[in-house]
Order: sequence, then structure tokens, then C-alpha cells
Amino acid sequence: MKRIAFAVALVFSLALAQTVGNEPPPDLSPQVFEIAKKLRCPVCRGESAAESSAGVTEEMRRQIAEMLAEGKSEDEIIQYFVDRYTEWILYEPPKRGLGLVVWLAPLIGLGLFGFGLYGYLKTASRRERALSGLEDVSEEELARALAELERDDTSEEQP
Amino acid sequence: MTPGMLGQLGLMLAVFFSVAGLVSVVAAWVLRDARYVRVARRAALLAFLGTLVAFGALEWALLTDDFSILYTARNHTTASPTWVKFATLWAALEGSILLWALLQTLYTWLAGLRMRDYWTSPVALGTLFAVQLFFLVNVLFVINPFTPVPNPPADGPGPNPLLQNHWMMAVHPILMYLGFVGLSVPFAHAIAAMVTRRYQTWVSETKWWLIFAWGFLTAAIFAGGWWSYEVLGWGGYWAWDPVENASFIPWLLATAFVHTAMVQERRSLFRSWNFALVTLAFAATVFGTFLTRSGVIESVHAFAGGPVGPIFLGFLLVILTTGFALLGRVSSEVRDAGSVRLWSREGLLLLGALVFVVMAFVVILGTLFPLLVEAFSGDKVSVGAPFFNQLFVPLGYAMLALMALGPVLPWRRAEPETLRALAAMAVALVLGTGVGLALGWTLWVSLTAGLFLFNLVALAWLVASPIARKARVLGGVRTGVGALAWSRRRYGGYLVHFAVALTALAIAFSQSYRLDVQKTLEIGESWQVAGRTITVHALRAVEESHRYSVIADVEVSGLGLLHPRLNYYRTSRTPFASPAVAYTLGKDYYLVLQAFDQKDSEWVTLRLVVTPLVLWLWASAVLMVLGTAMILWPSTRRVQVGRTPEVEA
Repeated sequence: MKRIAFAVALVFSLALAQTVGNEPPPDLSPQVFEIAKKLRCPVCRGESAAESSAGVTEEMRRQIAEMLAEGKSEDEIIQYFVDRYTEWILYEPPKRGLGLVVWLAPLIGLGLFGFGLYGYLKTASRRERALSGLEDVSEEELARALAELERDDTSEEQP
Repeated sequence: MTPGMLGQLGLMLAVFFSVAGLVSVVAAWVLRDARYVRVARRAALLAFLGTLVAFGALEWALLTDDFSILYTARNHTTASPTWVKFATLWAALEGSILLWALLQTLYTWLAGLRMRDYWTSPVALGTLFAVQLFFLVNVLFVINPFTPVPNPPADGPGPNPLLQNHWMMAVHPILMYLGFVGLSVPFAHAIAAMVTRRYQTWVSETKWWLIFAWGFLTAAIFAGGWWSYEVLGWGGYWAWDPVENASFIPWLLATAFVHTAMVQERRSLFRSWNFALVTLAFAATVFGTFLTRSGVIESVHAFAGGPVGPIFLGFLLVILTTGFALLGRVSSEVRDAGSVRLWSREGLLLLGALVFVVMAFVVILGTLFPLLVEAFSGDKVSVGAPFFNQLFVPLGYAMLALMALGPVLPWRRAEPETLRALAAMAVALVLGTGVGLALGWTLWVSLTAGLFLFNLVALAWLVASPIARKARVLGGVRTGVGALAWSRRRYGGYLVHFAVALTALAIAFSQSYRLDVQKTLEIGESWQVAGRTITVHALRAVEESHRYSVIADVEVSGLGLLHPRLNYYRTSRTPFASPAVAYTLGKDYYLVLQAFDQKDSEWVTLRLVVTPLVLWLWASAVLMVLGTAMILWPSTRRVQVGRTPEVEA
């Protein structure tokens, strides 16, 4: 077993110099990861503090575990990191100020695309009626005529 | 002849024949002479062969450890195993764009062979030649992998360790590019239709290619998710990372187009919107490449950077301008006429397309918002998984509901007989959700389970009712089943829908009921967790040519030995964790070796992730690919010209 440590140390002494001593990392409960998932890794590219294996996120997870042990609530812990790193650390943009824009934009998008689709269908339907010479017929008249047509269809099918 | 010289020669030939092809189709267009199209087809084959020579030359350099060219000197090492050497070709920018160019020339050649229309072929082929020239010129003049190195090094740094950690890296990029590049064919058909003002036939001509590309995009996205799961060491398969999003946007737009294409074929509606959709879907593939290759965004998957950012941005603008300028010109001519009831197949198909377009909008918004905010105000904001998840839950429910209802409802207007099916589906929805809630699942998971059953009943009705009808007419259930072979394509579509519903179920469970825990154990110590006993038996080391690994032998009761490991690569200071997964039909047990006692080897720190139903995610990916293959498989019987039978309800 000691040979492993020796060989690793020999080949990757640089890497090992980076790691902190030979202390085992702390045990972490599922709750730690739940909270860490909401925070971004400050040095990584697109990874959360729960996912990354960077040293700084190991430290973040350790801090979360310690604060949980001290009886701090999730909100307090998240506030601690916001105070240190600003709201940039949160993966969920706040629903106020500038962050509100990104939350409302999908609704606006849905409204615009939905309205576009509605407008398109209205125009297409008006054109069909225009082509069939029905543009002067009111909606009610059309509905009544269609209903009558349908009745005729079913009466023909039944001998 | 050295690999470098051969590569340059291949690229020059490819550029030459692409220009020749472009000239021929222009001649065919101007002189109205179809013979020049035949010349262009041959030029397409020769351009493909030229690019293949360049591709082969780069593989030759990699496999024979020739460091005299830029690409190998920067990205290759003699220590790599053979499969890594082979896959190193697409591990960095220059090679991956060469692969892209190779696949583009392949598509141009194959799509050209199938173009039969006298009027549109020259323009469609010309568009493909123009696209492939863009990539080839880039590879030859801007990011040439064959640039000679004055003083060749004896060995190079090798590819990114993350890419060497899993064999999927030899497969996933090729699938992705086959999907991305494949969308150029529908784009070319759309451009041809707009230029020649023939608006009706292009959709049925391009549908096969669209679904072909869609199948590869789907396979690639799942393959990428599986790679993340097996390599990145946090037990997840999707993180709404910008590169993941970049692959998801074309998929969403292509999916929307698959459905609106059916509306156009059947009802001649939505014609101008389809031009817009196909332009956006193809532009999204280039946009994704721009995002990931320009260094504009940072991501775990962005393995290559370089000077191509502005060039790709320019190309993106050219695509969008061309597509929308042509659309602006023809939109006054494409005047769709027809009334659509909401409660009909076309009504729901259009609503479904709306859902997919809004999904794409959300992904683009969430990906770009941090960039826009930083560019305009200098502030830094993060938009991550919680944002996307919250928005995709309602959109996903809408998708699940529509994808069951749409195929059940007939075209034009609902018929009384479908009411019974709808009633049965409603019962399944209520029952599924109720049972879920009674079992103590969360509301969201229960609702997903209900919608899964809703889909299942819809599909059962769709499969059973034609059999029953045919059995009534032809006599005997067996002839009814035999008649199914006639609508293989439709059943391929149903299989894809089933797989999507299964995916939704797997996502809901795996996202909601995940256990993530970390503990340090002595060698020989046991740990009771998540209903299993986890025992660490040994810690050992293995040396390979390209890496050094520390491996823990960990027993998970009932599931045998797992071997989570830490891989040390020469080029990287930090080790890469290679997780070990015990897949089961229920929960996956996922172990990561986080740390170990480097002095006395007495303890290891393990991270355990227990996630339910992840296996079903990979199973549904296989089903989706199978369903796509069923749709694409050439028909044995003759298809009537001008009428595609599979859309007949």
C-alpha cells in the first residue's frame, strides 16, 4: 500500500503539493449537496458547487456542512455565500431587478409566439372563406350551415 | 509523401471540386441544362474523396506519431492508446472542423444523388456546395491542421484528459456532427424552394433527411448525457451547461419542424413558417459551434477554442440573412388558406410546435442572458439549472399532453369514436396521478406518472384500433396484425413518442429522488446506506502508458464489486475521478473516489449517488433511435409518387 503513495508522489509530486495535507475530507450529508447544487462553482466552467471537484468547491461543501452542524438554516447558508460572492453565485437568478427580466421573458415569448400563431390561423381561415366566396357570410350563419351539413351527412349514412 | 503534404493536397482538391461543383450548378441554373447537375454530382463525390484523403492523412499522422504538423504537435501524444489516437482527430478545433467538413461533403454527395427535381436541384445542391466551401476554406486557410511545424517535438501534450476517460468520446462527436450537418440538407431544400418559388414539394423531399438528422441529434444528445454521467463524476446527465444547450436548441427547432412539416404536407398550411423554422434550426447548429468554439462562453464541454469565433458569427449572419431575405420576398406569394380547429390533429401539431419553439426560446434566453447582461451593464448574473428546470416542467407537461392527444385526434375535426379513447386516457391520467400521490410521490412526479399512462393508453388505442378495424374487414386478428407492416413508419413514430414519455418519467424520478452523500471509510469498514451495505475491500494502483490510476475495490451488497478510480494524466495537475456505476432497473448506485490516504493508504473518501430510473433514460434513447430507423427504413413496396402514405390517418 505504501508503494502506491510513493509512486504517486514520485510521478505527480506537483499535483500532490496542491492537496491539503493528508486529512480526509469531511463526511457530507445529502442536505449539503442539495444546498451546494444551488451555488455555482466560482472558478469552474458551468458547474455547480455540488458537481465540481475543484478545491474551492470542496471547501464550500465543507463550510456548508459546518454551518449545518451549527444549526444554520439553508437560507442563512446561501446568504453567507451571497455576501461573499454577490448574487452571481446563485444558479437561480433572483426574481427581482435585472433577474426578473429573464423570468418574465419566457412568458412574453410564449405570448408573442402564441399571438403570432393565432394571427396566422385567423388570416388563413379568412383567406379560405374569401376563396370560397364566403367572406360576406357571418360566423353564426357559417356555423349554422356547417351544422346542417353535418346533420345531412349522418342522415345519409344511416339507411 | 508525408501526412502533412497529403493532407494539404486532399484539402486543395476538395476546395477545387467544391468550386467546380458550384460553377456547374450555376451553369445548370443559368443555362437550364440538367446535364450540368450530373457534372455537379460527380464534383460532389470528388470533393468528398478529397476531404476523405485529408481526414485519412490526419489519422495517418496521429496513428504514426508524426509530430511535424501543427495538429499533432499540439494535441497528440505517443502515450495514447490506439483508440484515443484515432479519436484525437476530433478532440480539438482544427480536427473537429475537418470532421465537420468531411461529413458535410458526404451529405452533399448523398443528398445530391437523391435530388430528382429539375427546377430545385441546382439551387439545393448549390447551397450545399456553398456551405461545404465555408468549412473547407476555413480548414485550408484559417485553421489548417496540416501547417508544418519548423522544429517537430518528439512528443506532444496529448488530448484533454476528460476526453480520454471514456470510449464514448470516439462516438458522441461523430453522432453530434452527423445531426448538425444533416440539418443543412433541409435548409438547402428550403432555399431551393424559395428561390425557385416551388413551395409545396420541398417538405416531402426533405422529410427523410430531416428525420435522419433528427435521429442523430437525439442519439448524440443522449450519448453526451451518458458520457457526462459516466465521466464527470457527479452522478448527473444534464446540467444545462451552455454546450449542452447549444446541442439542444437545434434539436428543439428540428422537432418543431418535424411536426409542422406534417401540417404542410397534409393541409398545405404553415408554409412560410416552415421556411423560417428550417432556417433557424440550421442556423442554431452554427450558433452552437460559434458559442462553443469562440470562447464567448465557458463550459466543461468546450474543448476547443480558436480564431474562428468571428468567422462563424459571420457565417451565422449570412445564413439568417439569406433565409429571411428570401422568406421576405416569397411570403407575399405564400398565402396559406384553410381553417384549423384547435381540437384536431393539425391544431395540436401546431400547438406542439409552439411548445418546442418556446422551449428553444427559453434555452437561448437562459444561455445568452448572462452574456448580454455583462456586455451591457457589466454586472455578472448566473442562469443555471434551477431556472431551466422550473420553466421546463410546465412546458414538458404541455408536450406530454399534446403528444398523446395529437395522434389520437383525426385531421380536420374530432370524430365521435375518438371520444371513447379520450375518456380512457383521462381515466389513466387521473388514476396514474392518484396512485402516485397515494404512494407518497411528489405532485410533479405523480403528474408525470399520470401523463405517462395517458400516453400509454393513447398509444395502445392507436395500435389496437387499426388492427381491430382491419381484422373486421379482412377477417381474423392475424391478418389485422399482418396489415400493420403497411404502416411501419407510423409505428416508428409511435415508438418515438413512447420513448419520449419514458424519458419524461425517468427524468422526473431521477431529478426528484436523488440521494447524494459523502463519507470517509477505513479499508475493510462497512457503511449502511440507502438500503445497501457498502464495504471497502482494498485500495490499489495500476500504471498504464498514458495514465496512472488509483482504484478502490468497493462492494455494494447484492450488486458485487465496483471500482471507482482516480486517473492521473501527465498533462494535468489534478486527478480525474472515474466513477463506477452499478446499473439496476430501479436505482443506480454511483460511486466516486473523492480522496484517499496518500500516506498510509488506510482510508478512502467515497461519494455515493443513488438515482432512480436512470437506466430507463438510456433505454428510451435506444427506443428513440429504433423508432427513427423504422421511419427511415426504405419501403419495400412502391410508394405512389407525390403522395406519402405514412401521414394518412
